[in-house]
Amino acid sequence: MSREHALNDWYAVADANSLKRGLATTKLLGEDITVSGSFDAPVVETTDGKRLPTQVKFDHLWTTLGADPRPLFDIPEGDEDGRTRVPCGMVRVKCSPLRAVENFLDIAHFPFVHTDVLGAEPHTEVEPYKVEIRETDDEVWATKVKFFQPQAAKSAGGGITTDYVYRVPAPTTAVPPKHEAQDIITIFVQPRSETECDVWPWMALYDFETPYAELVQFQQLIFLQDRSILENQRPVRLPLDPKMEIPTRADLTSVAYRRWLKKRGALYGASEGPL
Amino acid sequence: MSTKAVGLSRDLPAGRVMPAHVAGQDLAVWRSVSGVLSAWDNRCPHRGMALSHGFVRGEALACLYHGWHFDCDRHCTLIPSHPDLTPPETIQTRAFSALEDGGVIWVALEGEAQPSDDLSGYKPLRTMQFHAPEDAVGTINILADQPVKTLLNPWGESRTLVTTLIAATASIQAMKDATIALETLRQQVEARQ
Repeated sequence: MSREHALNDWYAVADANSLKRGLATTKLLGEDITVSGSFDAPVVETTDGKRLPTQVKFDHLWTTLGADPRPLFDIPEGDEDGRTRVPCGMVRVKCSPLRAVENFLDIAHFPFVHTDVLGAEPHTEVEPYKVEIRETDDEVWATKVKFFQPQAAKSAGGGITTDYVYRVPAPTTAVPPKHEAQDIITIFVQPRSETECDVWPWMALYDFETPYAELVQFQQLIFLQDRSILENQRPVRLPLDPKMEIPTRADLTSVAYRRWLKKRGALYGASEGPL
Repeated sequence: MSTKAVGLSRDLPAGRVMPAHVAGQDLAVWRSVSGVLSAWDNRCPHRGMALSHGFVRGEALACLYHGWHFDCDRHCTLIPSHPDLTPPETIQTRAFSALEDGGVIWVALEGEAQPSDDLSGYKPLRTMQFHAPEDAVGTINILADQPVKTLLNPWGESRTLVTTLIAATASIQAMKDATIALETLRQQVEARQ
């Protein structure tokens, strides 16, 4: 628990381009909200009619329930010329928002969950990589993450060893990969509650050939595969007690992420005690 | 804590895993390729994934999430992200006592599993899940003219796993009739809920 901390973050709650379809209801940190208006004048309200702050960024509509929100992070590469920006719709997952982010930071599951797409046996080894909590901007960064992938993206022709960078700028956002002219694939996680979330994948690609529908379909496939894992982890809330779940070397990013959440007090969706 | 029936032996062939429940405990029950039966806490010690979604490779059960292998002694034998690493002895699953008797798989959460019923003179018919609490599933003995034995394993507040056996001498037709009667009974019991 620790809804107080979570209140002061910004969350994606809609695809900004879908506002034209009219009023939608959704949920944020356990509270019912409505989303309406237009791309240029979006409206987010609580059920008792209180208007919440909004901003449109990364093709999504963002809002916050807090009185003193932390600034929304930036993804500078996303604004670079010549990238196709692809909002991928939403996947609802009955899991902790923090488990969804942690899964996104994990590469060791690729051969088993995204078989023959993001990974394949016998290429299961995770080589040493570097993880740090950058004190200046208080973000988790993992660099030099290399992994063999049969088809890393819709645009990838065949098997390649992908060089990933992962960045966690907020408890419910993960931004890999970023390597100069590489594609960016992120997830923005909207916590509906501590045990249910809406995941909004967003990409900024150097792919000008694949039709939009195919790009979205590829990401949806990946996230549906992840959902089969995420909805079957116990406890549902992410355990921050290191005794609860045993990590290995490949889990350095996950270990740093859990420590960082604890240090920040970002405990919405986390469990601190034993099972 | 008593021993409960979690299913029929024939419904768990070699090389397969299934989910099961005893007194609120989620279980992964699996059989190695050579036939060794195990009943474990349904949770991988690595990242909490349900092991009942995993897959059997030879004499090990592998977790679907990261492919960690656990042998019949419940020790982790392989971490695919570090194939050259010998996993520490401390990485292991939590196992419960399980055995097979009368064609039924029995599991105990505490101590050694001990079948609660003498099943001699009976043969397995089938297992079914009733969406009803245990006390609502009481009258199965009157469902057929053949003697049947039913083993009830409540699963939460509103579900019950019903394992039914029938007289060893029952004909194929009698087994069919009993199965149909059982299905009818299930519908009646669930309609009353």
